[in-house]
Amino acid sequence: MTIKLRENLVAYAFLAPFLVIFLGFLFYPIFYSLYLSFHRVTDLYDVFGAMQFVGLDNFGKMFHDGQFWWSLLMTLYYAALVIPLGIITSLTLALLLNNRLPFRSLFRSAYFMPYVLDMFVVGLVWVLIYSPHFGVLNRLFTLFGIDTFLESGFLGNPYSAMPAVALANVLKGSGFGMVLYLAALSNISPSLYEAAAIDGAGGWQRFRAITFPLLKPITLFLIVIGVITALNAFAEIYAMTEGGPNVDVGGRALGATWVTGYYLFRTFYVSGKWGYAAALSYFLLILTLIISVINMRLFRTEEM
Amino acid sequence: MGTREIGRTVEAGRGALTSRPEGRDPGKTLLNRPADRRSPYLSWRHLRIALLYIGLILGAVVVLFPLFWMITTALKQPGQAYSLQLLPDEPTLDNFRRILADYGFARYFLNSIIVATSAAFLATLFAALAAYAFAKKQFLFKRQLFLFLLASLMIPGMMYMVPQFAIVSQLRLMDTYAAMVLPHLANVFGLFLMKQFMESIPGSLLDSSRIDGASELQVFRHIVVPLSLPVIATLFLLTFQFHWGNFLWQLIVTNKESLYTVPVGLAMFRDAHEELVTLKMAGAAISIIPIGILFFFTQRLFIEGMTKGAVKG
Repeated sequence: MTIKLRENLVAYAFLAPFLVIFLGFLFYPIFYSLYLSFHRVTDLYDVFGAMQFVGLDNFGKMFHDGQFWWSLLMTLYYAALVIPLGIITSLTLALLLNNRLPFRSLFRSAYFMPYVLDMFVVGLVWVLIYSPHFGVLNRLFTLFGIDTFLESGFLGNPYSAMPAVALANVLKGSGFGMVLYLAALSNISPSLYEAAAIDGAGGWQRFRAITFPLLKPITLFLIVIGVITALNAFAEIYAMTEGGPNVDVGGRALGATWVTGYYLFRTFYVSGKWGYAAALSYFLLILTLIISVINMRLFRTEEM
Repeated sequence: MGTREIGRTVEAGRGALTSRPEGRDPGKTLLNRPADRRSPYLSWRHLRIALLYIGLILGAVVVLFPLFWMITTALKQPGQAYSLQLLPDEPTLDNFRRILADYGFARYFLNSIIVATSAAFLATLFAALAAYAFAKKQFLFKRQLFLFLLASLMIPGMMYMVPQFAIVSQLRLMDTYAAMVLPHLANVFGLFLMKQFMESIPGSLLDSSRIDGASELQVFRHIVVPLSLPVIATLFLLTFQFHWGNFLWQLIVTNKESLYTVPVGLAMFRDAHEELVTLKMAGAAISIIPIGILFFFTQRLFIEGMTKGAVKG
């Protein structure tokens, strides 16, 4: 009996530092956030003293908040650009690298490397590349006689701003998907291709019938991760567009890159609406959990 | 670069490969898809390999261009910020000197090092201690606790911004290193990674050192830690990288300039001196190059660590 107690004590002693931080900063905040979402901060200089209970008001406000729904729409747009483009880029790089070639690992490292870098800082470099008049990309475009973006730059034009941000993100992150695809490709048995070749299947047919279906779990995973990443997008927007440029939507000025993650930051940090920001993040949490559940369903059917 | 040059490179590379046992047919070693072996046209194969290399090189140029452009611009004279020279004709390190000395980036760099190193050290230590308990000990609620921890991985990071900020400010930790580090010291993914690794340590090894009179902590320090060094190094690198770029959190919990990390300093510098492009790029390079170098020397650990969590779910 005492031996068992001792064993438990020793184990929990090893767990203690981790658990204390976990409970304090990862578990408790889930409930604390819910508490905050029922309140309104009335005085930013005395946040905790002047907190006012408002019930479900913050959640109610969300449904009438045009900027919020617009941000969800923009997040969807962002995801719709980043995810397919990212998957195509990752897959292309992986297929190119799936040959036994000299310098193969060098290329693999080169493609993966940008993934470990800080999005905010990389974003600042893209601002320079995309800048009006003298930016590299504009110089390149003028060579081909395109001067559409000369005045505004790529980030100042409401039509090109989001695709430009998405491209920067894709080029930084595609090495990650590539490594996953490469690992999956190396697990495909060559005999499958041999059999297909004997049956007279061409390159494209072999890709469609063998490679792509067998890579489906990775593709699904990248889609799910992509949606969650889009919901959390902040650093690239803060670095490149700060939510702008504004477009006129039915008489209201709304940001062409005004995504939910950035809106949450603005609501909380710039406007100081703690309660409303907490409510917004709860909405994000529920959205993410729904996506995760769908994801698990998909994977489960995949295995059966 | 001409296709012929690339073809020659491939030719040279093939010389090295044909010495392998299956090297009777060079096509198979280079393009390991069996169907290519059947192609009777040697020149077609050459063209294919050349195209492959062109694709690979183009891909690398596009992916690495921002990095290259950042460094080139940082080396240009301030007046030439937008010049199209790929390599500056009068390269200068003055931008780096000025941003480090005159704009406080030396201090920011030191702060980044302090924050990332201490956070990486503590997060790795806490994860290792907890992982050891999960891997090698029996205790009440072990399974439930583990599932509970795993479930937290589904919660998006953005969700934590408001409550963690509120907690840190109630603890009166605003504008301290602790505020930047403390909330991120429980790394569940790291715990998971380490637990898996430590499960492979034979229990007999631990038992025999206990019989020799080692205390629990000594067993951990002298047996478990040395045997887990690869995974410890991996987690240390990953957490270091995470905290080096933990921009949003560092931005909101610091108001004092003396506590800025490099990316936060860079954000403030951007807002104040939009026009000093070459200096800004020097600042960006200061932020990015350390991680780049770290990656260069430890890429296998980085790539494995980052993708392992992904595949396992």
